[in-house]
Amino acid sequence: MSDYVTAIAWTPDNSRLAACSACGEVVLYDGKTGTPTVLQAAQGQSLDALSISHNGQFLATGGQAGILSIWEIQGQSPRLLAQLEHSRLWLDCLEWNPHHAELAFGLGRYVQVWDGLTQTVATTVHFEASSVLDLAWHPQGEYLAVSGNQSLKIWQRQQWDEDPQVLATGGASVAIAWATDGSYLASGNNDCSLLVWDRGCSDPWRMSGFSGKVRQIAWSTPTPTSKTPLIAAISGKDIVTWTKSTDPDIGWTAQILDSHEDKVTAIAFQPNSQLLASASEDNRIYLWHKAQQIAQILKGSSQGFSSLAWNSSGTALAAGGHQGEIFVWTESTQGKGFG
Amino acid sequence: MVAIAVEKAVPVTVLTGYLGAGKTTLLNRILTYEHGQKVAVIVNEFGEVGIDNQLVIDTDEEIFEMNNGCICCTVRGDLIRIISNLMKRRDRFDHLVIETTGIADPAPVIQTFFVDDEVQTQAKLDAVVTVVDAKHIWQHWEAEEAVEQIAFADVVLLNKTDLVKASELDQLEQRIRSMNAIAKIYRTQNAQIEMNTLLGVNAFDLNNALQIDPEFLNETAHEHDETVGSMALVEEKPLDGEKLNDWLGTLLREYGPDIFRMKGILNIAGNDNRLVFQGVHMIFDGRPDRLWKPGETRKSELVFIGRNLEQMNLAAQFQACIVTDNG
Repeated sequence: MSDYVTAIAWTPDNSRLAACSACGEVVLYDGKTGTPTVLQAAQGQSLDALSISHNGQFLATGGQAGILSIWEIQGQSPRLLAQLEHSRLWLDCLEWNPHHAELAFGLGRYVQVWDGLTQTVATTVHFEASSVLDLAWHPQGEYLAVSGNQSLKIWQRQQWDEDPQVLATGGASVAIAWATDGSYLASGNNDCSLLVWDRGCSDPWRMSGFSGKVRQIAWSTPTPTSKTPLIAAISGKDIVTWTKSTDPDIGWTAQILDSHEDKVTAIAFQPNSQLLASASEDNRIYLWHKAQQIAQILKGSSQGFSSLAWNSSGTALAAGGHQGEIFVWTESTQGKGFG
Repeated sequence: MVAIAVEKAVPVTVLTGYLGAGKTTLLNRILTYEHGQKVAVIVNEFGEVGIDNQLVIDTDEEIFEMNNGCICCTVRGDLIRIISNLMKRRDRFDHLVIETTGIADPAPVIQTFFVDDEVQTQAKLDAVVTVVDAKHIWQHWEAEEAVEQIAFADVVLLNKTDLVKASELDQLEQRIRSMNAIAKIYRTQNAQIEMNTLLGVNAFDLNNALQIDPEFLNETAHEHDETVGSMALVEEKPLDGEKLNDWLGTLLREYGPDIFRMKGILNIAGNDNRLVFQGVHMIFDGRPDRLWKPGETRKSELVFIGRNLEQMNLAAQFQACIVTDNG
């Protein structure tokens, strides 16, 4: 691609990788050969968010121009299905429901849900407190959490007219993530803190003292050997992990992973494991064994990595770079560049 | 790594001024001037500015509070989002200008560049430029925002000078000087000004020595009917670093919301380097600067700009920081 890779995502069957860039490109790459299919050429204005639906049917992007674009990408020739234009608004957060063809996207102070069955906007909810900064579907797809200044709001799917559950955050919540089983919800905040709510409880655990705002959060999948959730968060050049002990008297313990020498841009746990990948502007990707020790160092970018995505089986890791590079590493091969 | 971080930080000019003062005229001048720089502009009202090949972004002001709503920690959420996104582009701009609405409080805009770690590494505040309508400012003295815009400024454009008498201008300039002892004041018509006095000012760079208008120091009678004003403190005797630290810490805790800007060069006992510092509300940045030169008069100079400064007992507290013989 010809500019900063702003987002990447695998299709659910792992056959293709999608990426968008800061000059508005959208490209689908064949996962094996790297052959690109250009969905949208450079536009001038940036695209900031990209998401692929649970069944691999739809791909959605949004960005600076305020245009929500939805492609049907199943089959040999992808086609543009819908473009919804919004003036004066940047679309920088959108996510498909993990179980239904429903796309939630932030639209200023509102969230809209676009329904893939009817191909129309099914609902609009008002976040009110500020612009929407992040949103996340519950892993079972029945709740939508939306974050912004001072609070998180959780709507129940198909009960959009009901008042949402409100969780106070103190500062502005800039990144949110549900635990993979939906039992916890975490919020990274601009006041250098991380909050974690147990689903059944409205008082969160709070971790403060980060070196900057908490920009992204990732949860590991519980495994048979470690049933307790493991959370990783990035702030400045640091990654901080937080583990909940099974002993309630011990609670949560933190560990700082501070090996990166420049801003950490993305983190992602390998599915069904505690192997954590972290990408940084220092031109390195680290793979952290059990999110504790560096197991492997991946290089390739000369100007810094911007984004990361594991495929669903955890056998391939894709990364995007500041200069538009796309990299894929598989378990048995070295990294190879696509474009 | 530090050198790289500095290099990639884009300078930012914050443009404030009450409604109708001439901000848009000035903005259009900046955009059309052949300075060979690519300027990006963030505006609050779209449509008035429209120049080809320049990046103009429209935004709605969004104030985010941190730490339970303390005004010293408020930032502009919309700017954080826009700047973080813009800085990803390969065809970067060389300078960013942020126009605030006429009635905006400038503090959250300024604080955004010190509080948000992501913005801090990508952009550095160059100067706050305030355009003042010489003819109509008299009607706006009651408005807190109009006064604060002047108090926060590094550069003041006394605009529309053709519409008022010279004696009124002198009076106005004196009033502005009493409010803000550090700003450079320029008299303009139609916001005509040399671009190099406007862009690349480096007013927030600690390496730039403090410049207090000598006339301000010489003035014997300041206007004390104003609630917003400046106070300059000058002292040649060396200061006790620890006492000074304690005093400033307490001062900012107690009066942070009322202190808009603060700048200083300090002569600390036992230290051959100058100590330079500046602050915006409770955000405070200080560090050792160059060595005092041989033959240079070592002295401390501090300037405070704020509301109700006389309540803060600044002069006496400052004097109490002077090193005494018996320790």
